[in-house]
Amino acid sequence: MKLFRPMRGHGESDTDAALLRAVADGDAAALATLYDRHAGWLHARLTRRCADPEVAREVLQDTFVTVWRSAAGHRGGEAGGWLWTIAARRLVDARRVQERAARVETAPMDVLGAEAPSAEERVLAGLEFGDVGTALDRISPELREVLRATVVDGLTTREAARLLGIPEGTVKTRAMRARAELRAALAQLSPTPTPAPAGGPA
Amino acid sequence: MSTDHWHASDDLAARYADGTLPEADAWSLERHLERCGGCAQRVSAAVRQLPAPALVLAEVREAVLAQAVPSEVREPSTVLAEAVASEVREPSTMLAEAVPSEVREPSTMLAEAAASEVREASTAPPAPRARLWSSFLARPLWAAGPAVRGAWLPAVLLVALGALALAYGAGVDGARPLLLAAAPVVPVLGVALSYGPHADPLHEIAAATPSGGLRLLLTRTVAVLAVSLPSLTLAGLLLPASGAPGAAAWLLPGLALTLATLTLAGYVGCRAAAAVTGGGWLCAVPVPALASSADAPLTRLTEQLSLVLDGPLAQGAWATAAVLCAAALAAGRSAYRMERP
Repeated sequence: MKLFRPMRGHGESDTDAALLRAVADGDAAALATLYDRHAGWLHARLTRRCADPEVAREVLQDTFVTVWRSAAGHRGGEAGGWLWTIAARRLVDARRVQERAARVETAPMDVLGAEAPSAEERVLAGLEFGDVGTALDRISPELREVLRATVVDGLTTREAARLLGIPEGTVKTRAMRARAELRAALAQLSPTPTPAPAGGPA
Repeated sequence: MSTDHWHASDDLAARYADGTLPEADAWSLERHLERCGGCAQRVSAAVRQLPAPALVLAEVREAVLAQAVPSEVREPSTVLAEAVASEVREPSTMLAEAVPSEVREPSTMLAEAAASEVREASTAPPAPRARLWSSFLARPLWAAGPAVRGAWLPAVLLVALGALALAYGAGVDGARPLLLAAAPVVPVLGVALSYGPHADPLHEIAAATPSGGLRLLLTRTVAVLAVSLPSLTLAGLLLPASGAPGAAAWLLPGLALTLATLTLAGYVGCRAAAAVTGGGWLCAVPVPALASSADAPLTRLTEQLSLVLDGPLAQGAWATAAVLCAAALAAGRSAYRMERP
């Protein structure tokens, strides 16, 4: 099976942006180099968000096929962030397809109240890392999932709902509860600052 | 490369790769990887150290690169040639058609799958310029409805050019009265051919769309009028007057008859409605004139037309009729919700 072209000419020296430009010009070798640099962490990140290894694998493949087809659409910026944006959207799409295959009727929950100030942004940006880790460990896994989808992965409420397979209203209420619990957990922690854990990137 | 003041250690990368890193540390690392190419490479390398992800990564790499054929090679014929060549290269696959698919070698199946995917990708590219232009022409023509893109358009041109040929080619004196007598029926026939299962092969689908029914019929009627009004009036202007009313005198009767057809069509269908209105016009104006007096039918027709078309009274009556028909159409538009043949 010799469908592959010989891959040569892209070493360590090329930046990701240069590689993406080469990919946009139809350079398969550049795509291979880009894949070797980024596929590993993308796969690990997808695996953390998706229990089905087959889906994670498909999403990874879709992501790089999309990169191949639309690398010209990359507008500067960090390649890693761009790649993750594609991967996250692909993951949401894959979930939507799955959901269609086995649709579960769920009654939408009422969305409560007004927007709380974005506690998690402030928390993730500014506070002591160990504090956040401990606080995050204290909130329930469902709330953590919602926080991860909306804050870390940068998905919209709708996309997060599709990804997690819950109604949009539930995403909103859970995000609100997560903020509240995080705030409460941090309030308990903040008087006694703890040092960062040994392996942590403090 | 990064604005962060820390970078992932090998230990952190390894723990992220095997999934044992706590959530908060993982989130932080993930955000960092989006911005730091060096750490991204380090973590990717750590993931490749693990056997299971390494296998998946290698397989996906092959699949991705199989689709990443340079664009100049993406021509379907080349892809087909490659697929054929790859089958010929392995003699065992020459019998592939005869062997059940389970028995085939996995590598061959992979090659076939990859080739078929590439072939699919190659059919996707945007339309060439030639197709773009033809679609510019074809789309409005298609949207204009079956009458304008079908036999009706040549029929209109035939009426217009036929009148000119009669006047200047055959030297018939009185082509304009003939044209004026025929003109009001032309848009009515256009309406008859615009909507309904007899006219439109896509009628069942079109009628089921939200814009089906009266809205679609009105759109197509506008197309019909846009073609017939200018062409027939222009032809009339080019003809010698020979005592007949002005070339534009048929416009209001034509409009009134068209609206009457639309009103009736909701109840009895386009074909029957057009037969009633168009036939009514023909029976009332030209047929008696042409049938009654054998000696000078064209003169008689001119008189008849002057009676029904000329003067503010006649035109006012046609205008009133048009307005009344429009009102009746608006009032009876619910009749279009029921589908009739």
